[in-house]
Amino acid sequence: MSDIPPVGAQPTVAEKIFTFVDERVGLKLLAAKMLNEAVPGGSRWAYVFGSVLLFIFIMQAITGALLMFYYVPTADHAYDSTQYILHEIDYGWFLLSYHFWGSSAMVVCVFAHMSQVFLWGAYKKPRELIWVVGLALFGLVMAFGFTGYLLPWDQRAYWATTVGVEIVDKVPLLGDFMARFLKGGPIPGQMTLSRFFVIHVMILPAALIALAGLHLFLFRCAGPAGPFRGTPTELKAKTDYFFPRQIWKDIVGMAVVFACISALAFWEPVVLLDEATPDPGDYHPEPEWYFLFIFQHLRLRMFSGEFGQFLASIALPGALGVVLLLLPFFDRNPERNIFKRPLALIGWVMSDRWP
Amino acid sequence: MQPQLKSKVRCLDRDVGEVSRVIMDPLSFEVSHLVVSMNGEGERQVPMAAVQIVTDGLVQLRSSSSEVVGMPPFKRDDYVTLHEVEIPGLEKHVHVTPGEVLVPFPELERNVKRRTFFANMTYVTGLFIGLPLAYPILKFLMKPMYAPFDNRWLKIGNIGKVKTDDTGVQFQYKRTLKEAYMPESEIEKNVWVVKATPAVLEKVYQGKDMEFRDAAGTAIWTNKKDMPYLAFSGKCPHLGCAFKWRKHKVLGQVFLCPCHLSIYDASGKVLDGPAPRSLDMLPIQVSASGEVQIVDMEFKAGTKSQTRIV
Repeated sequence: MSDIPPVGAQPTVAEKIFTFVDERVGLKLLAAKMLNEAVPGGSRWAYVFGSVLLFIFIMQAITGALLMFYYVPTADHAYDSTQYILHEIDYGWFLLSYHFWGSSAMVVCVFAHMSQVFLWGAYKKPRELIWVVGLALFGLVMAFGFTGYLLPWDQRAYWATTVGVEIVDKVPLLGDFMARFLKGGPIPGQMTLSRFFVIHVMILPAALIALAGLHLFLFRCAGPAGPFRGTPTELKAKTDYFFPRQIWKDIVGMAVVFACISALAFWEPVVLLDEATPDPGDYHPEPEWYFLFIFQHLRLRMFSGEFGQFLASIALPGALGVVLLLLPFFDRNPERNIFKRPLALIGWVMSDRWP
Repeated sequence: MQPQLKSKVRCLDRDVGEVSRVIMDPLSFEVSHLVVSMNGEGERQVPMAAVQIVTDGLVQLRSSSSEVVGMPPFKRDDYVTLHEVEIPGLEKHVHVTPGEVLVPFPELERNVKRRTFFANMTYVTGLFIGLPLAYPILKFLMKPMYAPFDNRWLKIGNIGKVKTDDTGVQFQYKRTLKEAYMPESEIEKNVWVVKATPAVLEKVYQGKDMEFRDAAGTAIWTNKKDMPYLAFSGKCPHLGCAFKWRKHKVLGQVFLCPCHLSIYDASGKVLDGPAPRSLDMLPIQVSASGEVQIVDMEFKAGTKSQTRIV
């Protein structure tokens, strides 16, 4: 132990408590293991998205828990309690709007995170499993968005769910069962609200925490990939630890995202439409932007009819998912430099333009 | 001193080899055996009992070289390494490595000032996120905590129900409740009414009228000291249970709380038990036709002084 206090100096109470805990759980060693993670080639702004996603999730958990202090998931009071949060409670409008915009920020940062990993070739051996678990996490984020959308129980919520569940119904063989399972009956109602609520606040968070933990564990097993250019000597010279420089960049990223979400919540607070009812009135249903590409495809003539619907809403997104899932297994070229991987670069640009 | 790896192993007659591994006892956390590499002639497992003395770089055995050669050969498959097994605390007792195993500190991390600077900036940025949220979250959670008082008079029944003096008679009544976004609902409550004799009245009022005030401090009602009817809130001032009018073996007819056995007389004074104050009086008026009205109030339980909360 290098930091034994000089003889005669009395340890303070805080030091005594720290020593007490440290003797039992090895805090110093644990902290050192966590923070002294070598980042090959040094810290970078490009690496902040993973930490930023964790931050957004924690903020969603905090604001979500706060909203649950007032929200009730019942068809007769979900709308009233949401309006109460928006209009009666101090800062309720802000916390709800932060939660709303936070979900969009999550999707944006997932795309940024995946793009960074893709362009840096960081999904390649030995990091295939991190990529696969990451894709599952992406699926969870989309499921969060879909289930959370119903909870305010206004017209927008009701109709997005109605259309979304009809799409699930088009899955071959299991579709009818899955749609009924989600709805808890033949049409959306109280059972649907209860199911979406428990999925949104219980099942998905538990799954996300577990998978994010696995994601981090796998990341720690493989270590950071580092830049795709540079000789080992260059990389070694620039290497630093996760703490403090990468953490500093990460927290700046978090602060920027926090400021952006807060600004959006401030200038574009959530406004509910009329309470949900199976009569849309003048309302034209439209999904959240990250489901919009499926929605728009379904307007095209080539995707009309039963098979067309299946193609646009299930088969194509499904195929895209499978391609991404298998990517590290068929792309076995160890080259990580994106400028020497023309196919990958073109693919990324195309998928960016596609929606 | 624990035997060091690579130490020479010397028998009574000659050197036989060097320590290639040590075997720890998972219970006592002591070294139980040495594995001796016999200069290219296999490995032998030597119990610590055979060791006479351990010095820096040398292990002296009590045995002769022929005895050591006759010892059982070391079977690697019977053991796992320390890293493959978790025995809490064992690692701390291992001092057999030739020294600490070191990894060089990265070039960029050697400047302590820069490290500290970035660490401090990280804390400041964290505060930038956390601090602005603290007050809004507190206000958000506080909204329904302080509701204004409702001082409406509620009809609770006819005084004809009270037949005898200085006796507790329970009146049930309903009041409306509007909570946040929920529709207005009705809840059932109860109050105890006593028709007091002058002696009991004197005990209660001690010659002074009783004034009731609202949250702002303005008087809303005065119970006159000569009006014989008393109304007690149905909530025990000890910890908020519901008390009853019961017969007590020694004290006779009393208000008794079944939870912690607080006992009060007909004037509401504490006779026995843990209650810190008398029963809480409510504003009461009785019309010429015998209609009883009260103002529904609740007070904080467990305190000596009376604090209205509803």
